[in-house]
Amino acid sequence: MRLAVILTKAPYGDTQAAEAVRHAIGATGEEIEVKLLLVDDGVYLAKKGQDEAASGYTNLGETLKDIIDLGGEVFVEKASLKDSGLETEDIIEGLSIVNGYELSQILLDVDKTMIF
Amino acid sequence: MLVLIKSSPHTSEGKRGLKIARDTSSDIVLLQDGVYFMINDMLDGFCGTAYAVKEDVALRGLSDVIRGVKIIDWDDLIDKMVEEDKVVGMF
Amino acid sequence: MAKTFTIFLTTPPYSSENTLTAVRIADSALRKGHSVNLIASGDGVYCFLKKQKAKGLPHAGDLFSELIEKGLKVYL
Repeated sequence: MRLAVILTKAPYGDTQAAEAVRHAIGATGEEIEVKLLLVDDGVYLAKKGQDEAASGYTNLGETLKDIIDLGGEVFVEKASLKDSGLETEDIIEGLSIVNGYELSQILLDVDKTMIF
Repeated sequence: MLVLIKSSPHTSEGKRGLKIARDTSSDIVLLQDGVYFMINDMLDGFCGTAYAVKEDVALRGLSDVIRGVKIIDWDDLIDKMVEEDKVVGMF
Repeated sequence: MAKTFTIFLTTPPYSSENTLTAVRIADSALRKGHSVNLIASGDGVYCFLKKQKAKGLPHAGDLFSELIEKGLKVYL
């Protein structure tokens, strides 16, 4: 089974990012091929150097590395990244930057899609 | 006047907060997803003073992208709210 | 001069960052000697339920309980 998880929201402001990574990590444990797609404000999840300190939050940037370690893939949409003002060097290592066409092809290729 | 902005630059609330601050020559405080306004030129055309709350900036990994924004802690925010004649928000 | 802060909280504890923002503002204002009222309205009342089991994000029940001990006045 191949699953795409689309995240459109920034981390921490609401719980959509936490939900997206939770379900993505959970799916890797079920031997599902997971592709996490960061679009719109979702690309902010890929920003390097997130520091939760004493906020009480889980560091969601670090969880992207967990997804990759568990065999999942994380994609960042190029146009959304440009709109966010972030540059490629601001992004956590190991993620793939894709254009809108490539993103659509991933959605064509997977069996199921979840949107957060 | 002081305008508190908690929404990201791509939301209608975030844009509204910045417009009101611009139209009233107010200063702004960025917190929560509002701190994403600090990246690059998203505050372009804003002439007041922009402050951003340190804890929310660090949480999002933005300590290295600060451009023309003053970083404050929660105690500084309380002092500002007490000093200002009016505080509106959070947008 | 000591002032009174009144926080109007309408969002549930774990679907936005408002919980942490309200906690931080109340805590800092109390430490500076101001009075702080918090009015929980609508879904905001869920921040004050007993036996919350939050993990991975700030625990509303514990944080507000600590603040009530420090002088936060909460109205539901």
